[in-house]
Amino acid sequence: METITPHHFVGLGGVLFAIGFLGVVIRRNLLLVLMSLELMLNGVNVALVAFSRTSLNLDGSLFVFFIMTVAASEVAVGLALLVALYKKRASVFSEDMSLLSN
Amino acid sequence: MEILAFSILLLPLLSSLVTLFFLRKHGNVAALLSVATAGGILVFASYLIFSNGGEDFAWDANWLTLSNWELRFGFLIDGPARLLLFVVAFVGLLIHIFSLGYMEDDTAKSRYFGGLSIFMFSMLGITLADNLIMIFVFWELVGFSSYLLISHYFTTEEAANASKKAFIVNRIGDFGFLIGIVLTYWIFGTVNLKELSDLASFDPSLTSTALCLALACGFIGKSAQFPLHVWLPDAMAGPTPVSALIHAATMVAAGIYLLVRIDFLFTDQALSLLGLAGSGMGLYAGFCALVQRDIKKILAYSTLSQLGYMTAAFGLGMPGIAMFHLMTHAFFKALMFLGSGSVIHACHHEQDIFNYGGLRKKMPITALTFLIGVLAISGVNFLSGYFSKDAILLGAYNSNMPVFVLLYAGAILTALYMFRLYFITFEGEARGKYAKQAHESASLMTAPLIILALLSVIGGYHGLYPFSLIGSSLSDLELVAKMPNHLWMIVLGTFAWVSGCIAAKLLYSKVDQLDPLETKAPAFYRLCSSKLYFDEVYAVYVKRVQDPWARFLEVLELLFVSGLMVRGSAGLAALFALLAKTFYVGRIHAYAFWFILGTLGFLAYASGLFGN
Amino acid sequence: MNIVDLLFYFFATLTVGGAVLMVFSKHPVPAALFMITSLVGVAALFVLLEAFFLAILQVLVYAGAVMVLFLFIIMLLDVGPEGGKASRIKVVSGLAGSVAAGLLVILVLNFVLQTGFESNRQIWPAIDESSMVTGQNLVFSTAVKNFGFGLFTKYMLPLQVSGFLLLAAMVGVIILSKKSVAEES
Repeated sequence: METITPHHFVGLGGVLFAIGFLGVVIRRNLLLVLMSLELMLNGVNVALVAFSRTSLNLDGSLFVFFIMTVAASEVAVGLALLVALYKKRASVFSEDMSLLSN
Repeated sequence: MEILAFSILLLPLLSSLVTLFFLRKHGNVAALLSVATAGGILVFASYLIFSNGGEDFAWDANWLTLSNWELRFGFLIDGPARLLLFVVAFVGLLIHIFSLGYMEDDTAKSRYFGGLSIFMFSMLGITLADNLIMIFVFWELVGFSSYLLISHYFTTEEAANASKKAFIVNRIGDFGFLIGIVLTYWIFGTVNLKELSDLASFDPSLTSTALCLALACGFIGKSAQFPLHVWLPDAMAGPTPVSALIHAATMVAAGIYLLVRIDFLFTDQALSLLGLAGSGMGLYAGFCALVQRDIKKILAYSTLSQLGYMTAAFGLGMPGIAMFHLMTHAFFKALMFLGSGSVIHACHHEQDIFNYGGLRKKMPITALTFLIGVLAISGVNFLSGYFSKDAILLGAYNSNMPVFVLLYAGAILTALYMFRLYFITFEGEARGKYAKQAHESASLMTAPLIILALLSVIGGYHGLYPFSLIGSSLSDLELVAKMPNHLWMIVLGTFAWVSGCIAAKLLYSKVDQLDPLETKAPAFYRLCSSKLYFDEVYAVYVKRVQDPWARFLEVLELLFVSGLMVRGSAGLAALFALLAKTFYVGRIHAYAFWFILGTLGFLAYASGLFGN
Repeated sequence: MNIVDLLFYFFATLTVGGAVLMVFSKHPVPAALFMITSLVGVAALFVLLEAFFLAILQVLVYAGAVMVLFLFIIMLLDVGPEGGKASRIKVVSGLAGSVAAGLLVILVLNFVLQTGFESNRQIWPAIDESSMVTGQNLVFSTAVKNFGFGLFTKYMLPLQVSGFLLLAAMVGVIILSKKSVAEES
């Protein structure tokens, strides 16, 4: 059996991304949607680090660092929005947030 | 100097703007402001005319630059400009003062006086302008202000239609004028009058008959010459002072002024054509005037006839005489229009001369000044009209016999219809009930009459005028003075007005409600009152040719422009919108789904699934 | 099969399993806990890739700060499990999502299997400090020092921008919270 190659890591990242996407599409709870988004970002992170490691270049890892920063601020703002919405609508489900649909 | 010219130009504009924005409800203030503006214009204009002793003055500045083409804004103050400037400012002031009295009871004073100010602005613009495009701009502006003032009584259908007619007919002429300007620029590469003059004298082959006839289209529209003369009689629906200022003394004369300014462009052919057209107009308008019953329409046709004389003078190659006649005509025609205004005012806006009669006893000043006007226009010896008109006649006699015959017949007719007007209006017994109660107008109205009457008497002696005013006409006047047959001309001229006067006396001294000519020569009367069916022919043309064509174009427009192109493109966009709307479901998940599908597409492309 | 392979499969299973459970759990609190599992698995994978610093950051920032924040909000809002007709996972969206996700996986795996990395290149183990470190050519290294060097030289501007991003996020969050308070009063 062959040893682990970077392909495995990239594939794993893709799978994580797909699962996260599935969560975004099927879940109605906005909290879980946010979490799924984090999962998608993590899938990308795994792939990036694998590439970085393979090509012996630190740039990929540094990008992971920036992605983490963005993700953290995204979560903070997203959750604050969610709380504000909850105070207005008393719900965190996306069916209740469809004022714009006809 | 340019500051002076600017203040002349901007003073009336300022006055009209102030009236428009602040004085719409204060008619009396607006009236005084307008009159004060006219006074200011006269003061500035006099200063501009006399300050540098008849030296020409030109100034210009860049107005608009479009890539390598630039439009300049400037003033060219030469002999004709000074003369017209004086006429406009002086007659304008008198008519403003007269309007104070005439429009005293009007409910829309501020509109009227604001309109007068706009007119003064645009007329002075034409006078001072140094290039054709600037002249055209102000040309349109006088058309606009004329429209505004003709439709002063816009509640009457007559005035509303007349203003539209004047505007539309003028557009036809102006279109030709515009083509002429474009052609001029095409050929000469400039529209500046001074440069044009230099170029034309340098290389006379540049001028062409077609070019100057196109430019003359503007003149034909504005001066109401054949075949665009139909608007001027109708324009009499406006207030009488307006008729005096715009449709007798200044605006219609602007056409002549334009010709004089560009006379270096005219070829001999065009000149002789204009001479013939002008003299023909003089005769034709005389016949029309002979049978009119409306006092203002008689004067309007008389104006047409006199404009024909000016055109003829220009066509005979004597622009100085044309300008000279323009000035004397401005005096006596403004006098007669204001006199008729005084009569109309006294008779409660009754305009049919057969309802007047015997007004001489009731309105002595008006009658006397009007008589002076009649004598002057008929060419009674040693009054102003005698000098200018007989100069034209003499010039025609010595150079162009057909023109002379037409003009001379016109001169007899002029005397005839003018004395007819005078006899029916002021002599005999009062016929209408308003005429019986008429009384002399206020001194505000008679004072301008007296001043204009004085000028109509002495205005023909060119020695009285300072050189800076009359300078441009002197050479032509001397030319005429040196011509032969002077004595013969005096005899002929005297015969013309005496015969006209006697015929009028015989025919019209005792009249009732009916025109004596109608019973004595019904066929002739009908022919004259039909005005050769110009209006009818135009009406048929519009109805038969223009309306169907317009309807055809409308169908095309509906079908192709608004149907196929406007609605069609909108429909196409709507189709796309309909398609795109299905993607819009209002749930965030769906959007994420579309987004990821797009990403998948990219990914598939990147991994070469679509083939590289 | 060496130990690295074993560890990889173990943590990969942990990560994917946690993710799947997170996505399909009805109640948010267990979902958050499964998510933490998954994130820790990712951190372990980072360790396998010898990106130690990122592994520590992953645990601290994600599993620590972010997920604690999530849990805190879940409990603050007292969100129950998704229930009732309206909140059931719809067949259409489930189907569409699964198809898209499956396509995604297939495409990624296709991509991974088709493109050859230079797999024969000897990359294990990574260097821990490199003399080759220069401003523009950053070589992968386990040392935090190199990481910091990269951040403060080549990625100076993005670092500053991300600092501003954090500041903006902070201000935004404060404004959002304040506004809702003002509305209530």
